[in-house]
Amino acid sequence: MPLAWRNLLANKPRLLRSSGGIGFAVLLMLMQLGFERAFFNASLEIIHRLDGDIFLQSASKYRFATRDPFPRSELDAARAVSGVASAWPFYAAWFEIFWKNPFDDKSFLVRVFAFDPDQPVLQLPEVEGKLAELSDPDTVLVDRRARRFLGMDKGAVQSELNGRKVRIVGSFSLGPDFESDGTVVTGNRTFAQLLPGPGGAPPGVEVGVIRLRPGSDPATVTRALRAALSPEVAIFSKEQLLELERKFQADVSSAGPIFAMGTLVGFVVGMLIAYQIIYTDLTEQLPQFATMKAIGYRTGYLIRVVLEQGAFTALAGWIPAWLLSILLYRVVGEVALLPLRMTAELSLISLGLTLGMCLISAILAVRRVIAADPAEVF
Amino acid sequence: MTEGELALGRVSRPARVRLAWRILTHDKARTMLAIAGVFMAILLIFVELGFFFAVPQGGMLFYDNLQFDLLVSSNQYEYQAQPGQFPRSQLDRVRAAPEVAQATALYFGSAKWRGGVDGKWPDVFVIGLDPRRPIFKADSMNRELGLLERPDVVLVDSGTRPMFGPLTTGRVVKIGDHSETIAGRYVLGTGFMGLGVILVSDQNFARLFPYRSLEQVNLGPIQLKPGVDPDRAAAELRKGLAPDTRIFTRSELEAHEVAYWTTRTSVGLIFGSGLIISFVVGIMVVYQTLATQVSRQLPQFATLKAIGYRDRSLDGTVVTISLLIVMVAFVPALAAALGIYSVIRDETLLPVAMTSPRLAAVFVATLVMASISALLSLGSLRRADPAELF
Repeated sequence: MPLAWRNLLANKPRLLRSSGGIGFAVLLMLMQLGFERAFFNASLEIIHRLDGDIFLQSASKYRFATRDPFPRSELDAARAVSGVASAWPFYAAWFEIFWKNPFDDKSFLVRVFAFDPDQPVLQLPEVEGKLAELSDPDTVLVDRRARRFLGMDKGAVQSELNGRKVRIVGSFSLGPDFESDGTVVTGNRTFAQLLPGPGGAPPGVEVGVIRLRPGSDPATVTRALRAALSPEVAIFSKEQLLELERKFQADVSSAGPIFAMGTLVGFVVGMLIAYQIIYTDLTEQLPQFATMKAIGYRTGYLIRVVLEQGAFTALAGWIPAWLLSILLYRVVGEVALLPLRMTAELSLISLGLTLGMCLISAILAVRRVIAADPAEVF
Repeated sequence: MTEGELALGRVSRPARVRLAWRILTHDKARTMLAIAGVFMAILLIFVELGFFFAVPQGGMLFYDNLQFDLLVSSNQYEYQAQPGQFPRSQLDRVRAAPEVAQATALYFGSAKWRGGVDGKWPDVFVIGLDPRRPIFKADSMNRELGLLERPDVVLVDSGTRPMFGPLTTGRVVKIGDHSETIAGRYVLGTGFMGLGVILVSDQNFARLFPYRSLEQVNLGPIQLKPGVDPDRAAAELRKGLAPDTRIFTRSELEAHEVAYWTTRTSVGLIFGSGLIISFVVGIMVVYQTLATQVSRQLPQFATLKAIGYRDRSLDGTVVTISLLIVMVAFVPALAAALGIYSVIRDETLLPVAMTSPRLAAVFVATLVMASISALLSLGSLRRADPAELF
């Protein structure tokens, strides 16, 4: 058992106190980091679910959640490009369609996604199992994880979209983002009734979902598509589409700076707590350290012990905070309908920050041990 | 026990403060460290609280700059940027009432600004109004409205994001299917209306949104004649209104918007949980500090016990230490919070502001924090045993 560990265990109430103090600072950082990730991930969720290799959308579309359709004829042009196996349309509306809560008859804006049930483009298992039903006119699937006031989670069988009666044939689990409270998925024919194009024509395509023939090179096909399509249509890989949205969110939303500031404050508070803990520990153990010096231990060894003590203190705070945050993520995620998830990345970042704040504190406090004079202590 | 010992056991309050003060000033470096910790904890509470209120305040931005006593809306009203529509005839009826001085129609719409950077077309929030009616609180803004009497011109909110390109006067931008000229900028803030906001005349609004009829109004701000009580006027006007239309007084409206932003969105939960955690972290910091102080001064406390000081007066000393630390830390934390608020205002365009109730609330929370921490750290003081120490 290393000396540093035994030093910590020597006074159990104090260990409990220090892991509590550091743990709450870590918990604060984990909550802030988790909220930040959830905020961005919520808006990326639907893009992840688009099932294709290459994507087309209007060149003027500046974010995913805005309606900016392009003509269907572009998809026909794309289909003719060699290497393209299929080019299917995805329709969407964010600020155009009102859903009536079937239980209290109040209307709310919802986002509506649509596709041809014979050409499914959404990777949502529960949607993929209901394609036959979606082929019928005026049928919809609703999001069980939509905000509660929409009444989508209580198993209603009928409601209205923009005043048009629709039959609810099933549900899926997606969750709201910071723009939309709930999601409705429907077939392309129902969507065309809700939002017809100019002059009653079929509506424009929001995203063209292209799948490649096996063995074809995405870069080559992208170049061929660029030559075949109008400059008003932009071509993206999945990663580029995600990046466009990420960049938009990072540019305009306040979430980044808000949660970064919260994390920073958690770090500084944690460092102050850690410094006090380590400083106090060392003060109390000064006679022991001085004795060790007197019997010939080198200063380098003592410094190592202090740093180890700092690292163990960090772990003693981080482990309970990490466990508690998993529980909090689950509870807050369910209540706030946020995709709060503990990932390996978040675990490593928070562990790194915790070790950082404890080791910096240990370095600041180690001077006492270096200066410890055996002759003075007794 | 003699009289003298009794007097010693009950340390008078000023003496207790003096003792606490001497303990704190004995080791100034440690005390500074403690104050720094508490300072950060208080600052954290200020910051989380600032965010918590900034969001509903961002939602109130437009109303806060508008001159009105009552507001007519559809009963489908959600929040300011999503108010639903009601027939203009309802507004005409309200205007005819004897207590009403002015009733104006506001029209809201969203259009593509076909002149963003990189060839993007960001959505712009369009507010249509009658340019001859002064409805804003700032006279400078009301005067600017006169510019809108020319056809096909817009005024742009100065808070419109850089992605809309230059907002210079005279620039021609295609909005929807129409070419519009920027006639100037005004200072109000985009709040939660969108990334960019423009003001247009109601006539121009009808041209921009040909499928919208000016007969359908989004909001109807009402100014009452001087001396008319808004609550009574609202009650009176409600009698004559259609059931799908509603009237808000200013205070009802504010309550509605705050409730919307804190309960219907994730905002309340995100910053509410941040607030609770920062409070607990604050308790932890103060407790840590006090426990350290107590354990360091344990021989001295035990000595005091041995010479007849009672537990209660020693408890009082610890509570006093705790209160002294938080009060000293509160002032710089407040100053730093004001600084951070102004940084946040510039960086995020959220109207984070310090108000006296908020200041008082944080101060009370701080005192509660100090008291809880003091109570937690009394345990080790109780155990101080004079016989064990020497």
